Amino acid sequence: MTTTQVYTPEIELDHVSMRYQTEKSEVLALEEVTVDIRKGEFVSLLGPSGCGKTTLLRIMADLIQPTNGEIKIAGGTAKEARLAQKYGIVFQSPVLYDWRKIKKNILLPLEMMGVSKEEREKRVDSLLGLVGLSDFKEKYPWQLSGGMQQRVAIARALAIEPEILLMDEPFSALDEFSRERLNEELLSIWSKVNNTVVFVTHSIPEAIFLSDRVFVLSPHPGRLSAVVEIPLPRPRTKELRNSKEFYDLISVIRDCFEGV
Amino acid sequence: MRNSLLKNRVAPAAVWFVAILIGWQCLSWLFLEVLELPLAQSKLPYLHELTRTLLDYADVLLTEGAVTFSNAALGFLFGAIAGILLAILMSISKWVEQLTFPYAVASQMIPILGLAPIVYGIVHDDQISRILIAAYITFFPVSLNMLRGLRSAEPSAVELMYSYAAKPWVIYWKLRLPAALPGLFSGLKIAAPLAVTGAILVELMGATQGIGVIMLRNLYYGPSHNYMFWLTVITGAFLGIISYLLISLFERILTPWQPEFRKTGGED
Repeated sequence: MTTTQVYTPEIELDHVSMRYQTEKSEVLALEEVTVDIRKGEFVSLLGPSGCGKTTLLRIMADLIQPTNGEIKIAGGTAKEARLAQKYGIVFQSPVLYDWRKIKKNILLPLEMMGVSKEEREKRVDSLLGLVGLSDFKEKYPWQLSGGMQQRVAIARALAIEPEILLMDEPFSALDEFSRERLNEELLSIWSKVNNTVVFVTHSIPEAIFLSDRVFVLSPHPGRLSAVVEIPLPRPRTKELRNSKEFYDLISVIRDCFEGV
Repeated sequence: MRNSLLKNRVAPAAVWFVAILIGWQCLSWLFLEVLELPLAQSKLPYLHELTRTLLDYADVLLTEGAVTFSNAALGFLFGAIAGILLAILMSISKWVEQLTFPYAVASQMIPILGLAPIVYGIVHDDQISRILIAAYITFFPVSLNMLRGLRSAEPSAVELMYSYAAKPWVIYWKLRLPAALPGLFSGLKIAAPLAVTGAILVELMGATQGIGVIMLRNLYYGPSHNYMFWLTVITGAFLGIISYLLISLFERILTPWQPEFRKTGGED
């Protein structure tokens, strides 16, 4: 090994497989997936439903355990990473607690970690500012739109300043306009925090717009079929969506699915 | 805002209430003067006669009502605590649920009318038996609704807690218990008036004080005490309504986030 490593690996999955036992048969959700994600990288797991992209994310989050394979997250096992709060997670739905005001929802993970009240109060304003919801501190979740609720969920995930941000189709329930706007906002938030992001999506443009690399997964069984580098410059703005490079990349990724 | 509240909620309710009173009074007149039914005033007494009796005996009704209410409240409190604790135990352990739940259901099949004298026979104290019966009635609906509430937390909300590596009791404290509050309150709202009814029932079977005691006494005295009898019945109903309203008030204060209390649909 003479080559110098130019990056630190943050997430390494080595031949990870996942089998589910259903009543009738055994389902192979993931087959031998090997993935390497660098520190500070924004990657997307892209694929149609049934390709196991969410399963893969949940394995990284230690919410489920794979049948086979090795996982290394931030230098330790997935469980160690979860126990040490190395990641923040955003689900498909905002999962805000109805009885907590926005402020208290965002501070929940800090409460769980035993951060003092003064320290929590200090952090809440910058977190609210980060996602642009400073005026909604004292509101309840239902008083906010779906997009705003998802921003609260992002702020909550970032509250602990995690090394890794795991996002499971966070904008898929939103309309196209809100989704594009939130993509831009997510990038601007990320430019300030600069952690490693794993973003699950089934939208090709979304994956391209956000990511440094796109991991293309194909279904039945879920397999990693391609890894596409996105060499588009940052910071990325909405004009980028109309550029030729952007369209070319869409075709490249479409072709990845054609072969399947 | 204030005006519209008056117009939309208070005014119709007031009109409706007055209409019922007028209907009552007319029907009472019909029974007595037109149809000339025997014991017409026992069937539906004149409101003005009731009012006159009320003014004379308000202090009696108040003191006796207070005795019943405080006993019912105490029993309600014990029953609610027991119900909540059992629900928590059942939600923690399937084993506890399987062991206790069938008996909790079966206990509700025992007629209170039969249970009250048994309880009295054991404790020989009408205060304690009132409290026990009220607690017994409260226990089941509270437990059942609380259990449902504890299980109502969404799987993703639990998963979020898991991602925080939360200890089981923290998950209860921060997620399951708050999520169970709406269920708990619907259980409490069912149980509160029932606890009052239960306490009155015990009084009917022999006690020294309480609204049930004067109810029974005035029933025995016959038509001459008809108005007072009616007033005891109304007081009993009134106690039940108060208990319900009190729980509703607590619910509003403690769980302002419930969908039914939300003021607006949302912004943006």
